[in-house]
Amino acid sequence: MQLRDLLHLTTSSLIAHRLRSFLSALGIAVGVAAVVLLTSIGEGVHQFVLAEFTQFGTNLVAINPGKATTSGISMGVFGTERPLTVEDAQALKRLPYARAVVAVVQGNAEVEAGNRSRRTTIYGAGSQMPEAFQMSVKSGRFLPDDDPTAPRAFAVLGSKLKYELFDDLNPLGQRITVGGNRFRIIGVMASKGNVLGFDLDDTVFIPASRALSLFNRDSLHEVDLLYDGSISVETVVAGIEKILAERHGKDDVTITSQQQMLEVLGSVLNVLTFAVGAIGGISLLVGAIGIVTIMTISVNERISEIGLIRALGTRRSQVLSLFLGEAIILSAVGGLAGLGLGIGIAQLLHLSLPALPVHTSWNFVILAEVIAISIGLIAGVLPARRAARLNPVEALRAE
Amino acid sequence: MKTSLRDITVFSWGALSGYPTRTILMLTAMAIGVASVIMLTALGEGARRYVSNEFSSLGTNLVIVFPGYSETSGLNSVAMVGTTPRDLTLDDAQALTRNLNIRRIAPINIGSINASFQGRSREVPIIGSNAELLNIRHWQLAQGHFLPAGDLDRATPVCVIGRNIKDQLFAAQAALGQWIRLGDRRFRVIGIMASTGRSIGVDVQDTIIIPVASAQQLFNSASLFRILLEVKTRSAIESVKQSTIELLKERHQGKRDVTVITQDAVLKTFDRILGALTYAIGGIAAISLAVAGILIMNVMLVAVSQRTAEIGLLKALGAPSRQIVYLILFEAIMLSIFGAVLGVLLGELGCFAIRLVFPALPAYSPLWAVLTAVAVSLLAGFIFSLLPAQQAARLNPVLALTGK
Repeated sequence: MQLRDLLHLTTSSLIAHRLRSFLSALGIAVGVAAVVLLTSIGEGVHQFVLAEFTQFGTNLVAINPGKATTSGISMGVFGTERPLTVEDAQALKRLPYARAVVAVVQGNAEVEAGNRSRRTTIYGAGSQMPEAFQMSVKSGRFLPDDDPTAPRAFAVLGSKLKYELFDDLNPLGQRITVGGNRFRIIGVMASKGNVLGFDLDDTVFIPASRALSLFNRDSLHEVDLLYDGSISVETVVAGIEKILAERHGKDDVTITSQQQMLEVLGSVLNVLTFAVGAIGGISLLVGAIGIVTIMTISVNERISEIGLIRALGTRRSQVLSLFLGEAIILSAVGGLAGLGLGIGIAQLLHLSLPALPVHTSWNFVILAEVIAISIGLIAGVLPARRAARLNPVEALRAE
Repeated sequence: MKTSLRDITVFSWGALSGYPTRTILMLTAMAIGVASVIMLTALGEGARRYVSNEFSSLGTNLVIVFPGYSETSGLNSVAMVGTTPRDLTLDDAQALTRNLNIRRIAPINIGSINASFQGRSREVPIIGSNAELLNIRHWQLAQGHFLPAGDLDRATPVCVIGRNIKDQLFAAQAALGQWIRLGDRRFRVIGIMASTGRSIGVDVQDTIIIPVASAQQLFNSASLFRILLEVKTRSAIESVKQSTIELLKERHQGKRDVTVITQDAVLKTFDRILGALTYAIGGIAAISLAVAGILIMNVMLVAVSQRTAEIGLLKALGAPSRQIVYLILFEAIMLSIFGAVLGVLLGELGCFAIRLVFPALPAYSPLWAVLTAVAVSLLAGFIFSLLPAQQAARLNPVLALTGK
């Protein structure tokens, strides 16, 4: 039997029972569509979250006071014996591969301008913050590179806070009160938006030392260090540890690299995507049973036909190929239809809900189609072997 | 010809049992769909109950005060850190004791410090609080006593340690009565915790608890991290929340700079999230029921085309079209029923296995999930067999009898 003949017999058999073939393929299609759609959503969320994190750059290391942590947060942020200081941050700038070092204190206070006021987030920061966190200034400038222990009373407004206090007026040079202390506005930030639940536009930036005084604190919450990408993160961490151990007399800080966080976060999101895809895969399993069922019926219906071709000299392996071919074609067509359906629904979802991140990864697309064809192969084996094993004399007599 | 329900049942049963392989495969498909819905909703429900149980062990009728307040709603990063110009202080906590609806008050400081004893040392989380914390959190002691009662501002040099801390600093030695060093100060161990509770995300077994005034001295900070209030009655929670906000606003120069939340509000949020997750996962699993339904339709169509002679005979004998429809529908519904029952058994068996492997997770499928899965499978069987039934009813008896 030639390959051409095989294809002809296989496709004509499927076409002869169009509705039956359509419904079998539909079962696979629904399963594949479910897997593709769900993994598209999972992958979309994955990329969205990672993009939120990496918008701050990837060559970042965060240093927090204290060694004990809870739920990923250093307990030393709340209270510690040996404070992490502005002078510590200054010392870290001596590292040759440090491109930006930012001392950070974060808090909450009332900001007043004229007769307007707003309770908002206060960031105590350093002059290199825009560089470290890839932020930009819309008008004016960011905090100057003053002596960090005695900085001038300057403030920079986030875009939303600027609007809340000054509407469309130019705030540069104006004075505001932050937590009862007076500052002069020297800049307004470009909008950074809402990042993982934190509104970076509803903020005011003041020098870290002045923030420490405002909040009556000894210790910074964090020091962020942006390092040269050509240096390994291990080298950076080792250098930081050495300097701070010398200054503090012991190892009493927690160092977290952006890479670490991204790896942990990425692996968690991967697990979620696969879990959801696997649940969708249950539908594929049911679709596979559909293929087995229909192929079994098909074999039973065509016993006389099989007997005839066997009597004419066809080998068992060729009969096996004939029925396997049918099963594989059914699954492959169903798989392709499912891909179209899944991707189509994902795109429709994205159009109707723009906030929902959806991304179809080619890996999952190929994987889904391969799985569909594999299902056809596996599902078709049982009925095909049954067909191949028929005795031609008995098959003919069954007429 | 009038066919009774009994005749229909016998007829359908005969049709199904006449093709055992086909029937078994369809039952398997339907059972897998039902079982997956049941098991997955059981997992979701188990996770929700696990979280609920964890929260219940954190206290009863709780109101939580923390420094910081944001114009934009929701708990954001500021609430997490809680740094403000005007501290939340011990005097604030003391002032709250005058509210008659409040049964217990526990001010809380937390931090991180080096603990050492005879050469062994490690950095440990510190919780600074008062005697009331034990009862508020429903914790138990294994040995000794908890923090002493008395004025909030007395910095007594005593501590209560978690079991893990005890093992790490004291090994096999007795710990009670010993003096340990926290930072540059010494504290006497007066108690060892027994609970497997948690507070502020920390396992209490890994903490050291000291008087709140001592913690403030240790960390050189006058600010509190939280104030926990246990309200006498559930109905008074909302009024305590409001009066707390007003009192602290009054004490803080008329500015609202604290956030007050109830334990119930936090729990409701988790409940809603996990509930939505359970529905979503159950819904995804239910897609497989639709696929099983498609299979039933397919097989019923095949069955109709294979039994044209049989159907033709029935029609020739006077069976009305409606009864032919009933026969096919009933056959499909029987399949769905058997498949659903098998699926429920399979699903419950799976839940049992999950409970064996993960004893802490109460994986019981909620009744609504079982009923929904069964109902959906029956509905699938019914809807997907309408087409083949209609097709059977429309057969011309003369043509059917000739086998075309």
